[in-house]
Amino acid sequence: MSEAVVDVRALEKIYKVHERSTGIGATVGSLFRRTWKDVPAVARIDFSIASGEVVGFLGPNGAGKTTTLKMLSGLLYPTGGDATVLGYTPWKRDYAFLRRIALLMGNRTQLVWDIPAADSFLVLKQIYGVEDGDFRRRLDELVELLELQPLIHKPVRQLSLGERMKVEFAAGLLHGPDVVFLDEPTLGLDVSMQARIRTFVAELNKRTGATILLTSHYMDDIVALCKRVIVIHHGKILYDGGLADLAERMAPYKVVGATLRDGAAETDLSRYGELMSKDDAGRVKLKVPRAEAPARTARLVADLGDAIADLSLEDPPIEDVIDRVFSGEQLLGAEAEPVAAR
Amino acid sequence: MSLVATYRALFLASFQSFAAYRIQSLLWMLFAIVRPVIFLAAWVAVATAQGGTVGGYTIGDFAAYYVCLTFVNQLVLAWNSQEFEWEVNQGRLSAKLLRPLHPLHYAVVDNVVFKASTLPVLVVILILISISFDARYETQPWHVLVFIPSVLLAAGLTFFFNWIIASLAFWATRMNTANTLWNRASFVFAGQIAPISLMPGWLQAISYALPFWYMQGAPTEILRGGVTPERALFILAGQAAWLAVCFVAFQVIWRRGVRAYSAVGA
Repeated sequence: MSEAVVDVRALEKIYKVHERSTGIGATVGSLFRRTWKDVPAVARIDFSIASGEVVGFLGPNGAGKTTTLKMLSGLLYPTGGDATVLGYTPWKRDYAFLRRIALLMGNRTQLVWDIPAADSFLVLKQIYGVEDGDFRRRLDELVELLELQPLIHKPVRQLSLGERMKVEFAAGLLHGPDVVFLDEPTLGLDVSMQARIRTFVAELNKRTGATILLTSHYMDDIVALCKRVIVIHHGKILYDGGLADLAERMAPYKVVGATLRDGAAETDLSRYGELMSKDDAGRVKLKVPRAEAPARTARLVADLGDAIADLSLEDPPIEDVIDRVFSGEQLLGAEAEPVAAR
Repeated sequence: MSLVATYRALFLASFQSFAAYRIQSLLWMLFAIVRPVIFLAAWVAVATAQGGTVGGYTIGDFAAYYVCLTFVNQLVLAWNSQEFEWEVNQGRLSAKLLRPLHPLHYAVVDNVVFKASTLPVLVVILILISISFDARYETQPWHVLVFIPSVLLAAGLTFFFNWIIASLAFWATRMNTANTLWNRASFVFAGQIAPISLMPGWLQAISYALPFWYMQGAPTEILRGGVTPERALFILAGQAAWLAVCFVAFQVIWRRGVRAYSAVGA
């Protein structure tokens, strides 16, 4: 693995939030005396990302994902700890650093609304000091990958959300950043546009070797793009490792899928596992303890024999795993302490 | 990065944006004329009632003063604090902070484009007012020469003073009060309500000590003429001193503000 381009050590961010109770007394009281509460958004986290990696940053709302991304891109000063990105301390916001990174946030605009994106691109070219040749090459690539040709000469305010997101992507990447922070890049987009953005991000990583740290609520984004995920909850890292290992580490069960032939549909399957679903076509899904999965599957096959038309043994869907982590269910193999699989 | 090339690109983009809102921009400019014209009309009424002069000012003197004040106001105008509050609270500032260019530069460009684009119309209106009220100017060629640095200093001072107020948005959610305070202070101390020489001595002393008169009234006096070289020098020195103070204060406040910026909603 190559050298770390993102290195985070005991990074911490505590917001001070004004707090008051409801009611007239509390309202009047707050005029004279304000009560502040410390809200830890990021609680001394550590991780590092190697050059060219695509890492998914997972967590529910308020977990600390966006705050971490903002600190790493230099928008926020941390309360404690340290971080380097490409060897720079992000919050010093050296122009040399800003020229090498991008923070793209879904549903947020950085383009001038009243002029065509092509004109904003020219402004960004000058601001970032991009050479003519590099600018033309990158713009051509982005126009091709994102199918921008019909969009860049229209005023930005006339574009749909999905179209605008694509144009925003191009604007954020024209300077050829080495590290790209993507915060909910597919937020609010329809399914086909989400897929297109995903393909684009994968292609960006392949073509430019850019290091990408991505947050998303959509597991499809993470599954399609990231081999490695960092799971953050209440500002702490719960898991840092391979996406494939996440289910194994954090879900205590596997899913047996079977299609039963006519006549076997009414069979009592509770001996083999907990029934998750069943449909009219005879397809059933059983939840079985991970450790006993092979033995129970074998027993199911032995007992039902020809009544089984089809059989599969899988990890639970990653969405379910993540959902269980965030909802605080007791997990087999998942300790209270952060899990580092790497 | 070449700052000249960046400015060229920013000017082009800003001008295109301006073109999209040209009617609105012209209306803003016309609104800015309303207040001084009302004051002019009031002083003309008072002067007429008092036999033609007030404190040595004839109707023609008042007309010249308010025409020059309107012209100066337009040249030194700064309005960032209103927009900046919105940019901070909506997180729009984040995109600018992430670029290798100080957000101040965008404001400089928007400022210059608005002024340059509306100035021709304003000049025509001011010439018509001058003719209508028979404005009496005492301007010598050297007044015009001194006016150029004076109005530039005034514009810089107003711009940085406005950015200091704007930067308070890093800590306060609503900036309207600070803006209103500035407007009211300008009203009294900048020479809008009356030329400073018509005010009581104590009010003149306060006006000389505060920055507001150096933003508007001072360059207005130079342009209207009638100031001595000594007074012109006093004005330029006061403007330079206040500009230096505001520039340093802005640097300090901005640095702290960016640290405090919580990028809410960004």
